[in-house]
Amino acid sequence: MKEIINNIQEKFKISEVTEQRENQYFISVEKKDTIQLVTYLKDIEKFTNFILLTAVDWIEKGQFQLTYMLNHPSKKLDIGVRTFIERENATMDSAHHLWEHVATFQRELKEMFGIDFPGSPRVDEPFLLEGWDNIPPMRRDFDTKKYSEETYFPRPGRSTNDPAEHMKKKLYPNE
Amino acid sequence: MFHWTPDRSAFPTAGPDGKFDFDSHKLVKIWHGPNHPGVTGNMSLELTISGDEVLESKTHVGYLHRGFEKLYERRTWIQCFPTVVRMCVPESDSNEYNLSAGIEELAGIEIPEMAKWLRTLVLEMSRLQALLRIVPAQGGTVGLGLGVQWGVYLRDLILDRFEELTGGRIYHMYMIPGGVRGLLPDGFKERLEENLILVDEFVLSIKRLMLDNAVFKKRTVGIAHIPVEWIDKYGIVGFVARGAGVKKDVRLDYPYLAYDQLDFDPAISTDSDIYARTWIRWNDIITTVDLLRQIMAKMPKKGEFKAPTPNVLHWQVPKGEVYVRSESSRGEYGFYIVSDGSKYPRRINLRGPSYTHAVSLLEKMLVNSNISDIAATMVSLQTCPPEIER
Amino acid sequence: MMNLKDILSPFSAWRNLLKEPVTIKDPLTERPGAPRYRGFHKNDIEKCIGCGTCETICENEAIDLVAVANVDTKNGDSGLRPLVDYGRCCWCALCVDVCTTGSLTMSNEYTWVSNDPEDFRYIPGVDKKEWDNNDLGWKKPDYTLIPTERMDMEEMEPSEREGTFLEIVRGYSRAQAEKEADRCTECGLCVATCPAHMDIPGYIRAVREGDMEEGLRLLYETNPLPEICGRVCTHRCEEVCAVGHSGDPLAIRWLKRYIADQVPFEEYKRILGITSIEENGKKVGIIGAGPSGLSAAYYLRIRGFEVTIYEAKSKGGGMTMYGIPKYRLPMNMLESEIGFLEEIGVKFVYETRVGEDISFDEIYKKHDAVFVGIGFEKPYKINIKGEEQKGALQAISFLDDINKGKKVDIGKKVAIVGGGNVAMDAARVARRLGAEVYMLYRRRVEDMPADSEEIHGAYEEGVQIIPQTIPVEIIGEGGKVKSIQYLMAEMVPDEKGGRPKPVPIEGSEQVLEIDTLIGAIGQEADYGFLPQEYLDKIETNRGRMLVDNNNKTTLDKVYAGGDAVNKTADAISAIADGHRAADAIERMLLV
Repeated sequence: MKEIINNIQEKFKISEVTEQRENQYFISVEKKDTIQLVTYLKDIEKFTNFILLTAVDWIEKGQFQLTYMLNHPSKKLDIGVRTFIERENATMDSAHHLWEHVATFQRELKEMFGIDFPGSPRVDEPFLLEGWDNIPPMRRDFDTKKYSEETYFPRPGRSTNDPAEHMKKKLYPNE
Repeated sequence: MFHWTPDRSAFPTAGPDGKFDFDSHKLVKIWHGPNHPGVTGNMSLELTISGDEVLESKTHVGYLHRGFEKLYERRTWIQCFPTVVRMCVPESDSNEYNLSAGIEELAGIEIPEMAKWLRTLVLEMSRLQALLRIVPAQGGTVGLGLGVQWGVYLRDLILDRFEELTGGRIYHMYMIPGGVRGLLPDGFKERLEENLILVDEFVLSIKRLMLDNAVFKKRTVGIAHIPVEWIDKYGIVGFVARGAGVKKDVRLDYPYLAYDQLDFDPAISTDSDIYARTWIRWNDIITTVDLLRQIMAKMPKKGEFKAPTPNVLHWQVPKGEVYVRSESSRGEYGFYIVSDGSKYPRRINLRGPSYTHAVSLLEKMLVNSNISDIAATMVSLQTCPPEIER
Repeated sequence: MMNLKDILSPFSAWRNLLKEPVTIKDPLTERPGAPRYRGFHKNDIEKCIGCGTCETICENEAIDLVAVANVDTKNGDSGLRPLVDYGRCCWCALCVDVCTTGSLTMSNEYTWVSNDPEDFRYIPGVDKKEWDNNDLGWKKPDYTLIPTERMDMEEMEPSEREGTFLEIVRGYSRAQAEKEADRCTECGLCVATCPAHMDIPGYIRAVREGDMEEGLRLLYETNPLPEICGRVCTHRCEEVCAVGHSGDPLAIRWLKRYIADQVPFEEYKRILGITSIEENGKKVGIIGAGPSGLSAAYYLRIRGFEVTIYEAKSKGGGMTMYGIPKYRLPMNMLESEIGFLEEIGVKFVYETRVGEDISFDEIYKKHDAVFVGIGFEKPYKINIKGEEQKGALQAISFLDDINKGKKVDIGKKVAIVGGGNVAMDAARVARRLGAEVYMLYRRRVEDMPADSEEIHGAYEEGVQIIPQTIPVEIIGEGGKVKSIQYLMAEMVPDEKGGRPKPVPIEGSEQVLEIDTLIGAIGQEADYGFLPQEYLDKIETNRGRMLVDNNNKTTLDKVYAGGDAVNKTADAISAIADGHRAADAIERMLLV
């Protein structure tokens, strides 16, 4: 695995390498190099099994992290390629040409995070949410609690007490 | 032998370029599901058909979307456990295992030996009950409902064992970070063995009923073929890959828990059709029963079952990310977990086998297939929509 | 591929025709849940303390804490009980596993039919259900979600303690403190028990998060002497700690000490935000620089009062300075705390005994309000023959002398009479001076009013406790104590239901040869400083001044606190008194 990481570092600008375990590494790469690196890993290093593509919302940094999880079936190695993209008008190059199922992941990301993958097949079709009219729900600024309070009717008559507050009220109200 | 072919001469035909004109208003669009007995759970297929042939299929999910991955933004790590099991209804334990294992890896916790064996036991029991339901259900998709009755009865017996071990039948919530929530009750092994003997009988009788059945063979052999080149192209895992001759099994490839101390060899076939995939899963029942017997014989009699963890009420799992996987009855089941070092997970992402099996792969396989084979094809992939929409 | 076998084989299923059906005919009665089944909730109302940890862990927000009839809010019990909403519950039983007392359990009952949806919200144990007496069902398993073991506190080995007054307790390291703080469930039951109502969960959270400045701010909100309390507090909070019901209670006192030790005194002003004080022109005089006086002084001073403390001794701190041995509370801690008060502008007038060096009348007239924190200075006599001889000491003056650095010759064998914390201090100090120490106590060891860790420490250091002994006479020789004669006592149950009384056993006289006898059976207040006209107006009860909710005495504009007011006689109560009085004085003078 070390050797593969060295090969990659020779050819690409890798900003961070994390060894999670002996056979699982995460590497960070710039947005523009990402698809090239993934292609390289697939075609040259033979990480032919694409496990997943998902996003992590780092709202405080104004970034989305995209993770491409690849697997080398015979050497039994995993590599996670991380890239950070702007949260505003998030767009990423599509990787649908590399594996058939990538388009599904990209379609879900478009819907759930609002990350666009121009050129990806059916990327604009709703995946789970038909008729959704709010911001993409997996973004951290979408508040599920607020949404449910506005959308549904909470059961009336519920109230709870904080033990410390309640004891103050009962035992030493004037202090 | 009786043979009948419908007259397809009046069906719309493809144009000179071999493509159908989808705007010609000559093609019929039908919805297969979400309310259809041949659909595996709450999903539906939007089919464009020409006569009884499928020209295009689009998978629609979202009928069971509960937004668990979103909800974990405001759940503490321990609070994820009651819902994480619900990501896959028929086989909930892989979820608890993956989340526990991921947290343990990030926090650097080594679980006790006893807990490893108990987890292995539970995962195999879980596989067994899933297979007991789905293997005869393959017969159900072609009109053979009897085996399902047998399978569901036996599955109920396994659920009884779950009930006495974990306190719950479907959602066990038995594995938590650090280990498990209890030891085996007295007499558990004997009662499980009694059930396994019944499963042994079932294995033979379902073979006679379904696998050695002329009608079943007629309906499944050579149908829904998956070429071996598709394995990587579509990210195919588990028994579907094994059906195409590629031995993929997380238990062997990336041994976890006590699997490196167990002796097993999952079945493999190169036919890659519905029959082959059914036969493999039928074999998986035999393997699993054997594994359960090995586990019972090899597991320690007593010992610590949970490693100490920090106070779960405000456990801040160290910053980091990890991909953990285990073998479910459907294949590689993975969790991608990101912690930002706070009380709450930053991201928990499930990658289940059905994410590709039921979407890109199924959509591709159904093109040019016959609508009467759709249900059998879906069940032969053992698709499970909750793990797609989470 | 198809053959005759494949056509015939499925017919083998017909043999099932002769088999018995496997269906359970009457599942409602024939199919009980497994012994571990996670069915409907039960709660042992007597055992439950209403800490709400079940509510905290419930991810479905299915549990509310509600007040119920017949359960009173009292020390260590919030009086609240969990109400479960079965419209939200998912029966994961994490509430059972996390329950600190083990009162919450589940039955193996799983069928319940009702037409009224409101029925499915109920208070287990209060709303009677048919499964309440069902023994089977999920119980708290033998594992923990909250660590039960307290972080060990490093201490000086008992064998090293003789001849030294170095602090025994070494204090937590950062890792230890954070680990200990991690065990807190933040239920807050301790807040009511703490006489000062400190925000204990808050400052423990600050330790966990490593935010010492926030921690210090929280401490000073209710307690301006955390360095002292962090060492010698009677920590009654730990007695009600929810975690203590299933393991060791949190080391609340040590965590408080940890915060106070982390921040240098020079930083206090900045952190507490008292860089400048706006004077309000009102004057308050405080008599006695003990914990209650210092506490009142701090809270009055930061609100702009001009505060003057009159102290008879040469240093501030009161009992904590003169009564507590330095192995428990090093001198520099007190000096720094008092130094901090001086820095923010509290005036200290030392070596000025009110009634002798300055009259109470003058203080009363000069100030807009007066706070009296005189403590219990005057020791009780044992009242037996021979007490006037040389070698018969009083614990308070003995400890005072030692702390002042005086040499006290106690000889080789010492007897202490008493069983409270002062007796323990005297005994352990005597051990440090190298004497063989016997402790004579009227009742049993378990009846001793001293803190259990003090008793434990005394044992560790080799103090020999002789319980159930009643001193009769101190026998002297040449005007010097030579031995003590005592009777053994038996414990006779009290008919009125009080605690058992020691009754001397006739003919059980024993004599113990000793060089020194130290009496430590209690102290009282000395009101000699008050002129008669004031004394008449200040009502007392059994030697303690009577005060109202605001710690105001029956004399106009005079407030009081500390040992001379409250029975608990510990530093933290005194600090609470000072704070309460300061609040009341502010209300009286400014509002």
